[in-house]
Amino acid sequence: MANINWRTLNVDAYDPDSEVNFPLTTLLPANLPAPSNAAESAQIGQQVRQLLRAGDSLGALQSALETAPLAGDEAAKQVHLATVLEVLQGIRHSEVSRILSELLKQPGGTALGDTLMKYLYKGMASGAGGSGSKGLSPQATGASTGFSQIQGRNFGEGSGGQVMSVLLSWHEKLTEVVGVGGIVRVMSDRRTV
Amino acid sequence: MSGPEVHHLFHHPIADHSFSADRQTLAVARDNNVELYHRSGPKFVLKDELKGHDKTVTGVDIAPNSGMIVTCSQDRNAYVWEPSPTGWKPTLVLLRINRAATFVRWSPSEKKFAVGSGARVIAVCYFEEENDWWVSKHLKKPIRSTITTVAWHPNSVLLAAGSTDSHARVFSGFIKGIDARPEPSVWGERLPFNTVCGEYLNDSAGWVHAISFSPSGDALAFAAHDSSITVVYPSGPEQPPRAMVNISVQTLPFTSLIWNGEAEIIAAGYDCEAFRFRGGENGWDLAGSIETKHRPGLASAREESALHMFRQMDLKGKVKDDTQLNTTHQNTINTVRVYEGSAGAVSKFSTSGVDGRVVVWTL
Repeated sequence: MANINWRTLNVDAYDPDSEVNFPLTTLLPANLPAPSNAAESAQIGQQVRQLLRAGDSLGALQSALETAPLAGDEAAKQVHLATVLEVLQGIRHSEVSRILSELLKQPGGTALGDTLMKYLYKGMASGAGGSGSKGLSPQATGASTGFSQIQGRNFGEGSGGQVMSVLLSWHEKLTEVVGVGGIVRVMSDRRTV
Repeated sequence: MSGPEVHHLFHHPIADHSFSADRQTLAVARDNNVELYHRSGPKFVLKDELKGHDKTVTGVDIAPNSGMIVTCSQDRNAYVWEPSPTGWKPTLVLLRINRAATFVRWSPSEKKFAVGSGARVIAVCYFEEENDWWVSKHLKKPIRSTITTVAWHPNSVLLAAGSTDSHARVFSGFIKGIDARPEPSVWGERLPFNTVCGEYLNDSAGWVHAISFSPSGDALAFAAHDSSITVVYPSGPEQPPRAMVNISVQTLPFTSLIWNGEAEIIAAGYDCEAFRFRGGENGWDLAGSIETKHRPGLASAREESALHMFRQMDLKGKVKDDTQLNTTHQNTINTVRVYEGSAGAVSKFSTSGVDGRVVVWTL
């Protein structure tokens, strides 16, 4: 008993009314996809890359967003983030608007737009995902993104700033279509990517 | 369509507002008091103040037939105010809650009212003749967080509640001796107190700001902080709903909504203007803003002289004055209520918000 440093006890954990005891799983809808792991995400990533290589940018983006591991573990989410970032970088800047409008026109398109917005924020939060996006030439983005000041600042390690500028330009285009509502949903939604 | 009737009462947020049935009296919650305004000509003038709460008043509702006013506040109390020759006489309600009261509404029968609270309970209050006071019964399960909003079913038994645990729920608030046995409906047949008739969560799970039954009571709409409105069509007791339509919008979230017939919803919130939704079981769509785009502010902006432009540039460093929103409300709308007409056919509705304005809109 004497060894317990009671000052460091988390008293909130003993209070049933405390917010730390709020069951967050109750905020998840019943229609979540099955839990997945990193290996499955990697497999999906392969298929998405094939689509991208075949020139089907819209298909690649759509299947990457539809297969988002909403119930996956952390590793699965990281692998899938890398896949999505690769797709985003692989799409030419001039095509972004067209692809977005086609993506959102489909049934269930708003949900895909929301998922994309989640990835944009996650990408920006994780320092533009240094992993996985290496070795991909940034030919698609060029300097025409209109965010030259961010590229100029050059976030430390080479391609980081490049990815960030891609994400920002996607964010700008996506916000034009889904409005601030899409951003609000990123914050409220418990189905994280 | 005539323009909206704007009453800029003061420069304080209005948490809630309510009109009397004859629309001559307007009650607004301002800080710790409720102010009663009386219509005189085109304006509303302050006539009375209901003082009694010692923290922010969060809800006020005038019963249309009896004229009694119920108020609730963050001081964990609710009062029922009755007119008497010496002014308004408050009666304390025994809410038995240990957190703020957040929302209050009379049931259509006016024999009961429901108070939402931060104590994870809804207090359903009714008058006990033998003790001569208002007592409450608690709806507890399965609420996991603060109740932000409540709404009564037309039968005065069922109660819908929205909560910060992101769920919209339908409860039975049946009080023996007060209520008549309700007709069986899609929500259930036998409805003892605290029966949970429905529990709904939309996919992106924002916390619920507003909830309302459709005029028939057979559908439920709720607005949540994920900038969406969800309309639920139940199929029967203990069964999954027949349809659950979610409309995600591009604007900021809505904080209040009303039905106008079974096929139209009017919602307003953080975007400072009211929007109209149309649809049915097979899908709902945003039908646009209620405000016409010809507002007085815009017309004057057009006729700008060069002199005026350069003077603005010189004085303010900009040409346009962008300190005003081009909506009637200049801040978040907190409450939308039916002003004229019934829930089945609204002809006018009123909104109040953080900017201290109460606006009456003609549809």
